[in-house]
Amino acid sequence: MAILTTEDLTRRVEALKAVNSLSAPPDFTLDSDRKPILVVRNLSKGFGHVTAVDAINFEVFEGEIFGLVGLNGAGKTTTMLILSSLLNPDSGSATVCGYDVVKEKDGVRRSIGFVFEEEAVDIYLTGKQNLDFAARMYSLARQEREKMVADVLKTVGLEQHANTKVKDYSGGMLRRLEIARGMLTSPKVLLLDEPTIGLDVQTRRYVWDYLRRVNKEMGVTALLATSYLEEADYLCNRIAILHEGKIVASNTPEALKDSFGENLITLKLSKGSQEDFARQLREMTWANSVETQSQGTLVLSLKDKSIGIPEIVRMAKTHGFSISSIKSSTPSLNDVLLHYAKKSVAERDE
Amino acid sequence: MWGGWYGKMDVQEVTHRPLFEGEPIYSMWLRELIRFFAMRSRILATFASPLIWLLFLGIPLSQIFSSGASQSVPGGLSFFAFIVPGIVSMGLLFGGTNSGVTVLWDKEFGFLKEVMVAPVRRTSLMIGRSLGALTIALIQALATLGIALILGTWLGFRIISVAGFLLAIGFMIITFFAFVGFGLTLGALIENTEGFMTIVRMIEFPMFFLSGALLPISVIKGIPVLYQLQFINPLTYGVDGVRGLLTGVFLLPAWLDLTVIVAFALLFLFLGAYAFSKMEVD
Repeated sequence: MAILTTEDLTRRVEALKAVNSLSAPPDFTLDSDRKPILVVRNLSKGFGHVTAVDAINFEVFEGEIFGLVGLNGAGKTTTMLILSSLLNPDSGSATVCGYDVVKEKDGVRRSIGFVFEEEAVDIYLTGKQNLDFAARMYSLARQEREKMVADVLKTVGLEQHANTKVKDYSGGMLRRLEIARGMLTSPKVLLLDEPTIGLDVQTRRYVWDYLRRVNKEMGVTALLATSYLEEADYLCNRIAILHEGKIVASNTPEALKDSFGENLITLKLSKGSQEDFARQLREMTWANSVETQSQGTLVLSLKDKSIGIPEIVRMAKTHGFSISSIKSSTPSLNDVLLHYAKKSVAERDE
Repeated sequence: MWGGWYGKMDVQEVTHRPLFEGEPIYSMWLRELIRFFAMRSRILATFASPLIWLLFLGIPLSQIFSSGASQSVPGGLSFFAFIVPGIVSMGLLFGGTNSGVTVLWDKEFGFLKEVMVAPVRRTSLMIGRSLGALTIALIQALATLGIALILGTWLGFRIISVAGFLLAIGFMIITFFAFVGFGLTLGALIENTEGFMTIVRMIEFPMFFLSGALLPISVIKGIPVLYQLQFINPLTYGVDGVRGLLTGVFLLPAWLDLTVIVAFALLFLFLGAYAFSKMEVD
C-alpha cells in the first residue's frame, strides 16, 4: 500500500478511509495532536489450516476506546494477543506506542495492561497478594509498589476484601480485580478481552462506568474486544466489526447503525384507506419508502431520525386517518453483526 | 513504518534490564510457597506420601531380602536403608518434572499470561518458579529423611555424617534441576495439554523403576535391554549419588554419578530455557 508512505496526516486518514472504510470519530479532531497509539497493518495469523486473523488494518488514536466486535471465533482474542506481544503474527505488522510487537516486545509490555477473558489471577492468593505479585514484576521501589496496589484497590472498591482469598470472591469482584491488575501500572494502553463476560447487568454497568472514568480521567487508550454489542455501543468511540478474521466494517457505532439498519415505523389504520395514506406519506420529504403489506399494515422507512411516532400520528389526524397500532424500531448493532454473519453463510452456500 | 513518525513514547523510563531480576524471581518463588501452604492437602501429602512408601513398600520388601540369604543388598546395607535414598530421589524426579511441565498448565489457565505481559525475562520467571518447587521438594526430602530416621532405629537406616548429609542436599538440588529442565523440554515438545500428564507419567514411572531406587540395578543383570536401559537413565546416577552420600555405599563410581547428573542438568536446563523463552501463548 504505497499510499501509506505519505507523511501528511490528513491525507493518510483519507487514504485509510478508502482502504478501510474508516472515518474519523466525531468527537476526535484529527489534528496533529491526536497520535495513533495502536497501528495495525495487514496483520495475519493462522493456526494450522484456520486463518484466525486475515490481513486486518486499523489504528487506535490516543484517548480513544476502540472496539473489536465479533462473534466467537472471529479472531478478536488472537488480535489482542498479538498486540500484547504474547503471540507473533505470521505476516503484517503492529505497533503499540511506536514499539513493534515482534521486535520490541519489552517496550510493548511496558506500555500495556491486559485484562484477559479467562481468569488470570491466582485464586489461592488474596486480592492484595495478587496485585502485589503483579507489581513486583515491574521491579519498582517498595513504597511505590505499595501505593500503587493500595490506590488501585481503592479505585475498584476492593479495599474491604484486599486480604480475602480470591477463591472466595464473587464473579463481579473477580472481574474488578482483573481490571485492577490491568490498570496497576497506569499503562498507556489497556487491552480488554471480554471484560464483562459472565457478569450480571448491574455489575456490567458498574464495570463500564469504571472503564469510562479511567478513560476520561487518566487518558487511557483502550482496545476492547467484545461480543456484546451493547457494550461496544455504550463504551466505544469507534468499532471495527471482525468476521472470520477480516474487518468487514469500521466506523462509529452510530454511523454503522445508520448505514446498516433503517428507522422503521410499522402501523395499522382503523379509519381511512391504506393506499391513500401511503400516497400521503410518500409525498413527505422525510420518508424513504412506504410499503403496503397484507392486513392493512404499512411499513415506513425514515430518512430523518428526528421524525417519530408523534409526528406521524399528528399527520394522520390532520388528513382524517386514524391509527389503531403503531410501533417504531431502531436498528441495533446486532443487526449489523448478523447481517455479516448471514452474508458469509450465504456466500459459503453458493 | 508509522510508529517512527512520532518516535517511541516514553512509557516508563526504559532503562536496561538488570541481568538478575531479583524482585520477579523472589515473587515467583513466594507465590509457589504461598500456594503450597494454602493447600492443606498438599502439606499432608508431603508427609503422608513418603510415609506410605516407606511403611507399606519398604517394610514388606525388606522382609524378602532379610529372610532369603541368597539375595542381599550390595554394600551390606539393610534393604530399608537401601530404598530410603530411592524414595527421596523419586520425590526429586516427580517434583522436578512436574514443575517443568506444569508451566503448561499455568499457560492454559491464564496465570502465566498475566506475568508474561510484564516486561520480565522469561528465564527469570522460570528460575523463580523452579526455586519455589525446589524449596517444596527439599521440604519433602527432609520430611522423608526424618521419617526414615525414626523408622530406621528399628530397620537400620542412619546417615553416615553431617558432611555426607550436606553434600547429599547439594546433589539433590542438581538432580532436581536436571528434572526441571527435562520437564520443561517435555512440555515444549508435547504441545497438546490434553492427556499430557498421562504421557508424562508413562515416562516418569519406567525411569523410576529402572533407576535402582527400589531394587539394586544388578538384580536384572541377566535380562538384556532392561539392564542396559538402567545405564542410560539419568535417575540411576541421581539415586546412586544421593545414596552414596547419605549411607556411604556407592554402587557406581561417585565421579560418574556427579558427571552424568551435571551434564544432564546443563543440557536439559539449556533446552528447557530455550523452549520457554520461545514460548507463545495461543
